[in-house]
Amino acid sequence: MAGDLPLDPVTFEVLKNSFITSVDQMGEQVLRTCYSFVIYNRDFSSALHDAHGECAAQGNQDIAVHVGTLHFTCKDVMRFFGDDMHEGDVFAINDPYAGGTHFPDVRLIRPIFADGKIIAFSQSNGHWSDVGGSVPGSFDVAAREMFREGLRITPVRLFDRGRFCKDVAHLVASNTRDPASIIGDIQAQSQATQVCAREILRLVNKYGRDTVETGLAAVQDYVERSVRQRIAALPDGEWETVDFIDRDPAGGEGMIPIRIKLTIKGDRAIYDFTGSHPTIGSIYNSAFGTTFSAVAAGMKTFFPDLPLNSGFYRCFEIIAPEGSIIDAKWPIAVTGFLMPFEKIMNSIYEMWSKLMPERALACAFNLEYLLTGGLDARSSDKPIFMFYDWLPGGWGGRNGKDGSNVTTACFGTGLMSQPVEGQERANPILTTECEILKDSPGPGKWRGGAGVVKTSRMLQAEKTVISYICDRERAVVWGIEGGLPSMPHGLTLMRAGGQGEERLGSIFSDVPIGEGDIFSRPTAGGGGFGDPLERDPALVVEDIKDDYVSVERAAKDYGVVVRTIDAELCEYEVDTAATAALRAKIRAERVAKVRLDPEVVAENYRSGAISVLDVIRQHAVILDWGTGALLPKSTSQFREVFERRSVAKWSAG
Amino acid sequence: MVQNLRVAVDVGGTFTDICIMDEATGLIRIEKTSSTPDPIEGIMGGVSKAGIDLSEVALFSHGTTVATNALITRRLPRTAVVTTKGFRDVIEIRRANKEDLWDTYKDVVKPYVPRRDRLTVPERVDAGGLVVEPLDVEAAREVARILKRRNVAAIAVCFMNAYLNGANERAMREILLEEVPDIPVSISSQVLPEIFEHERFSTTVANAVVSPVVVSYTSRLGERLANEGYTRDLLLLHTGGGVMTPASVRDFAARLAGSGIAAGAIASRYIAGLCGYPNSIGLDMGGTSTDVSLAYEGQSRITKDWHIEFGYPIRFASIEVLTIGAGGGSLAWTDSAGSLRNGPQSAGAFPGPACYGNGNTQPTNTDANVTLGRLGSNLAGGKVQLAPALARQAVEDGVAKPFGLGLHEAADAIVKVANANMSDAVRLISISRGYDPRDFALVAFGGAGALHGVDIARELAIPVVIVPPNPGVTSALGCLLVDMQHDFSQSCMVGADEADAADIEARFAALEEEALARLTHEGIASQDIVLQRSIDMMYRGQWRSLAVHAPSPIGAIADLVQSFHSEHQREYNFRRDSAPVSFFRLNLKAVGVVPKAEFAVHEPTGAIPEPVGRRRVWFEGNGLDTPVYERDDLPCGFSFQGPAIVEQVDATTVVPPGASAEVDKYLNIIIRVKE
Repeated sequence: MAGDLPLDPVTFEVLKNSFITSVDQMGEQVLRTCYSFVIYNRDFSSALHDAHGECAAQGNQDIAVHVGTLHFTCKDVMRFFGDDMHEGDVFAINDPYAGGTHFPDVRLIRPIFADGKIIAFSQSNGHWSDVGGSVPGSFDVAAREMFREGLRITPVRLFDRGRFCKDVAHLVASNTRDPASIIGDIQAQSQATQVCAREILRLVNKYGRDTVETGLAAVQDYVERSVRQRIAALPDGEWETVDFIDRDPAGGEGMIPIRIKLTIKGDRAIYDFTGSHPTIGSIYNSAFGTTFSAVAAGMKTFFPDLPLNSGFYRCFEIIAPEGSIIDAKWPIAVTGFLMPFEKIMNSIYEMWSKLMPERALACAFNLEYLLTGGLDARSSDKPIFMFYDWLPGGWGGRNGKDGSNVTTACFGTGLMSQPVEGQERANPILTTECEILKDSPGPGKWRGGAGVVKTSRMLQAEKTVISYICDRERAVVWGIEGGLPSMPHGLTLMRAGGQGEERLGSIFSDVPIGEGDIFSRPTAGGGGFGDPLERDPALVVEDIKDDYVSVERAAKDYGVVVRTIDAELCEYEVDTAATAALRAKIRAERVAKVRLDPEVVAENYRSGAISVLDVIRQHAVILDWGTGALLPKSTSQFREVFERRSVAKWSAG
Repeated sequence: MVQNLRVAVDVGGTFTDICIMDEATGLIRIEKTSSTPDPIEGIMGGVSKAGIDLSEVALFSHGTTVATNALITRRLPRTAVVTTKGFRDVIEIRRANKEDLWDTYKDVVKPYVPRRDRLTVPERVDAGGLVVEPLDVEAAREVARILKRRNVAAIAVCFMNAYLNGANERAMREILLEEVPDIPVSISSQVLPEIFEHERFSTTVANAVVSPVVVSYTSRLGERLANEGYTRDLLLLHTGGGVMTPASVRDFAARLAGSGIAAGAIASRYIAGLCGYPNSIGLDMGGTSTDVSLAYEGQSRITKDWHIEFGYPIRFASIEVLTIGAGGGSLAWTDSAGSLRNGPQSAGAFPGPACYGNGNTQPTNTDANVTLGRLGSNLAGGKVQLAPALARQAVEDGVAKPFGLGLHEAADAIVKVANANMSDAVRLISISRGYDPRDFALVAFGGAGALHGVDIARELAIPVVIVPPNPGVTSALGCLLVDMQHDFSQSCMVGADEADAADIEARFAALEEEALARLTHEGIASQDIVLQRSIDMMYRGQWRSLAVHAPSPIGAIADLVQSFHSEHQREYNFRRDSAPVSFFRLNLKAVGVVPKAEFAVHEPTGAIPEPVGRRRVWFEGNGLDTPVYERDDLPCGFSFQGPAIVEQVDATTVVPPGASAEVDKYLNIIIRVKE
C-alpha cells in the first residue's frame, strides 16, 4: 500500500492538503465578495486542474451538482484557445453543451504559469443571478430550445495578460438583467482564481515545478486507487432501476422514464441508461456533462470521505443513448437539467443501497424553484423586483435512522435557504407561514425526513408573474425496503377576493398574479425505509409530540393507536392491544388496497372519502390533484415500481 | 485592607489554572489544580491551595466553559420558544444546509429547543417595521399558561422583523412575566436587533437555554467568593474578549459560550504587544487541537460568523479563533491508498500517546517528538514519565515500516505533516485574509506550541517566535489582561449615497447611551470608558460586509466610503472605486478600561546558565548533540543559538539549528527563526 507514491510521503500528503486548501481559499473569497445572491447562498464551486485540464482538487464545500463538470469546461477552454493562453489571462464559459451545467453557472478559468509554461488552471464557478433570456432568473420552463433561456457563453477571454477586456465583459453583462452585479461577480470570481494561483506558485517556489506537477497527477491516482480498491471489494453484479420525470408537456399523459443499469465488474462501475426516454418538450433535459455529474455526485455519496478529483471520475463509465433525455444536444433546452439530475442521483442511492446497506437511503424530496417578478409598488418609483426562492424538504429514511428533516435538495447539500426577513425587504411579499409540514414524512420503519410548507401573500405589486419549476407531483417521492411514499409536490394559488383554490401544480410559467393573491407550496418529506408496521410505537409517539405526525396518520400509516392524555403537556400513550389489532388488519388488507381499481380510488378521492395521502400511500394511484381525474398511465407506472420497492418487502403477517 | 492581588482562573477540561499577580511587584505565579465535575470546587480548592486571601484581591476574573459545555452536552433546562404564528420552525429549518455535504448518515445536531416546546402566537411586524398585526393578547396568555404548566426554566421570544420594532416582543414578555414570574425571558429585539430571522432567533434561543445554567453558576461562585472575603464583582470573560459582571450575564448569558477560547487569543495579543509586535498570530497547541488567532495593529480579529455547533449561529461579536484537530495526541496513520495522514483522530488524554504506556500503539505527534529527542522522557516536572522505547516502536511499526523509512526519517515525516496542516490553518486566517505573515510574530503556547512553533514560522516566513514564560497556562493569563467590554450592534441598511450622517450619528449616540448605562451600572467611572465605533459596509449588491472603523463624531460619509475601499483592497485584493457602497450594520464596542498591572521587568544579569543536560536531537535527519536548558535557569538577557532545547514544567521549547534565541525583560524567549 504505502510506498505506491511517486513522491515521498511527506511531500505527497502536504501537496494533497495544500491543493485542497488552495481551492477552499478560492471558495471562501468568492463567498465573501460575490454579488449574486445565489452564489452567496452557496451555489458555487471551485477547482484546481492539472495542465491537461483534469481536476486535481475540488472544494470540500462545493455544491454537488457541479461535481464532475469542471474538468469538461476547463478542457473546452483549452481546446478553443490552444497555445493562445498567457499569464494573466482569465477565460469564461457557461456552455452546457460543452460540459457546463446550465447558463446561469458561469465559470472563470485562469491558466497558472510556472517557468513560462502552464502548470495548472484554477476555476471558479458561480450561479449568476441572471443571464438574460425570456424570464428573470433565466429559467423559462416553456423553452424548447436554448434561444429563450439565456446567453450561451462559449469560451471567451475576459482578462488579456492581466488587462480587463471591458468590451467582452460588457457584452456579457449587457445581455443580463443586472449588468452591475455581473461585472462585480466577474471581478470576485477572477480574483478568487488568483488566490488559488498564488498558492500554487508558492508550492512551485518551495517544491519545484516538477514536484508540483507530479503531485497534481499523484493526487488523482491516489483517489482512483482508493475507489477501485473499494469497488473491487464489492461483489460483481447488475442492479437496475427506473425513476421518472412527471410528464412531457409536449406529449400525452404518462411519466418519462429514466432507466439505469449499474454493472459492477472488478474494480469498475458501469452505468447504462439504455431504455431512457428521448428528450422532451420542456427544459427538463440533461446534456451529457450533467448526466456525468449526476452519476458522480450520486456515487460520491457512498464514498463520503474521499477527496474529489478526476481520479474518482475515472472509476466509472456511462453508456448514454444519443438523443435521450440524459444526452440532450444543442439547441435543446436544458436549463431544468436538475430534474433528471436528481432522478439519477436517487436511482443511484437506490442501487447502491443494495451494495452498501449500511449507507442505504430512500428517495429525497424534489428541488423546487419559485420565480416571481414584476414591479414593486410599495415605493413610488416602482423598481423591478425578482423573488427567486427555493425550499428545503425531507430526505429519505435510512437503515436504522429516520431521514433528515428539512434539508436542502440533494443536488446541492451546501445550498442555503434564504431568510424571510431579507426577502420581505427586497420584495413586495409577506410570508404568512414557513413551517414543517405535519405528515409529510414518508412512513417507514425508519420514516423519511419532514418537508415544509411556505405560504406567501403578494403586497403592492404590478405587472407580476409567477413561474414554478418542480417535479414529483406524479413521480411521488418513494420509499424502499417496504417503506411508503411521502406526498406530491405542487403549488396552490388563492386569488384575492376568495374564488377558492387553484392548483397550478409543479411546472408552469408566467401566470399573472396581483396584490392579495396567496400562493402556497409544500415540499415533500423523504420516502420511508422499511415496513412502517414495524416501526417502534414509542417513536411514533415522539413524532406525535412534536407534530411531525398526526394521531390520525399514526393509525393509518403505522397502525399505531395513540390516546391523547394531555396535549398541553405532550402526554400521549400507545394503546397496545388496539395497535396489535390494527396492524394485523392493515397487514391483511394492504396488498389488496394497492391493487384496487384506480377508477374506484379516484372516485373515492373526488367524493372526499379519502385524502391525497390515502390515495398515494394506500392505493399507489396518481391523479390530477386539482380535478381528481385518474392518470391511468402514470398510475400503472407508479404501481409497477411501488410493487417492487414496497409491496414485495412487506411481510404477510 | 490593601487589595493588591489580581486573580484569574481558567477552567479547562483537565486542569484549572489560577494565575495570581501581585500589583505591587508585577510578579506572576501560577497554580495548577485538577478540574472537578462542579468547576467551583476546583476553583475554590485551587484558591486555597495557592494560599490566596480573597480579601486582598482587587480583581477576580474567570474564563469558563460552563456555557459551552452545557450547549455541547445538551444538559440544558427545559426551555420554550414563543414565536410568530407560521414560524414555529425557524430554528429547525435553519438555512437547511449541512456541515458534511457528502455523508448522508451524518446529520446536523438537533435544535436546542425541540418542536414540542416551540409555541406560536398571532402577531406580525412587516419589513418596514410597522405592526401589521398586534399581539393577540388572549393567545399570548394561553401560551403563557401552558408554559407554566410545563414548568419551563427559560423562555425565548422570537418574532419576525422584531429587529425593526420590538413592541410585540416586549408585550409578550410583559405577559410572560405576569403569568410565569421568575423565569428568565430573552427577547430577540434586545438580545440581537439584527436582520435575518434564523441568526437572530438562534442567538436568542442559545441565550435563553444557557441563561439558567450560567446565572446559577455565576451566582454560586460569586457567593462562595464573597463568603471567603472577596468584596468586588466577579468578572466573567466573554467571547468578545472582554469581561462582564454577573448583572450583564443575566441578560447576555450566551456571550459566555466560547469564553475559554478567547482567553488564549487575548494573552497572545497582549504578550506580543509588550514585545513590540502589534501584529501577531497566536498558536495554542494542546493535546487534541490547536487554536489559531490573529491580532493586527493591536486588535484581535472579530467575527460574528460563529457557532458552538454547526447550524446554530451565535451572532455576538467574538474573537476569531480557528480550531483544527491537530495536537500532541493526534494520530499519524496510513490510509488505504497509502498516504501518510495526521489527525484529526487523537489518542486523547487516555490512553494518550504510545509513550504514555497506557496501551495505545499507534504513533502520535508526541511519540514522533520523543523519537526525535525533542521531547525528553519527563513531563510536568517529573510527574509524567514517558517511555521512549514505546514511542520508537509505534513510529517504527506505524510509519517507518509501511513506507520503508528509517526510524528518524519516519518521525520527522510525522512532524512535518502535522506542521504543514497547522501552517495551512494559519494561512487561512492570515494570508487568505490579506495579511502578510512576514509582518507578524508567532506566539507559541499551549503544551505543544513551542515544540512546533519555529518550524511553522519558517514554513510561513514569519520571522519571530515568542514563547511566553508559562506557555501551558497562557489562557489563564489572558483572563487577567482584559477590560470590561460590551458589544452593541444594530442593522442599518442604507446606501452610502443616501445615508444621512446626522441620522447615523444619532443611532450611534443611542447605542452609546445604552453602553454608558451598562458600564456605569457595572461600576466603571466615565473617564475609564472608551467607545469604538465601526460600520459594516459592502459594495451595493454584495452579500457579505466588511467592518470599517468609524470616527466619533461620524464625519463625512465620503471618508467612510474611502476607508471601505481600502479595507476591501487589503482583504480581497481588489476595489471598485466607481461602484456604489452600502451600509449594513452599526457596531459599537464599549470598553471599561480596567487598570492593568505592569508585568515585572527584569534586568539582564549577564549570567550564563549551564545546560542541565545534553542529548541527541534529530533535525532534518541529523542527530545533533544538543544542550538542554531548564527554563527557570534562563535569566533576562541570555542569548543562545540553536540547536537547543528548553524544558519547563508545562512545555518544551525547540530552538532548531540556525535559529537564535534571547530571553527578554519579561522572560519571554524571543526566537529569530532565520535558517
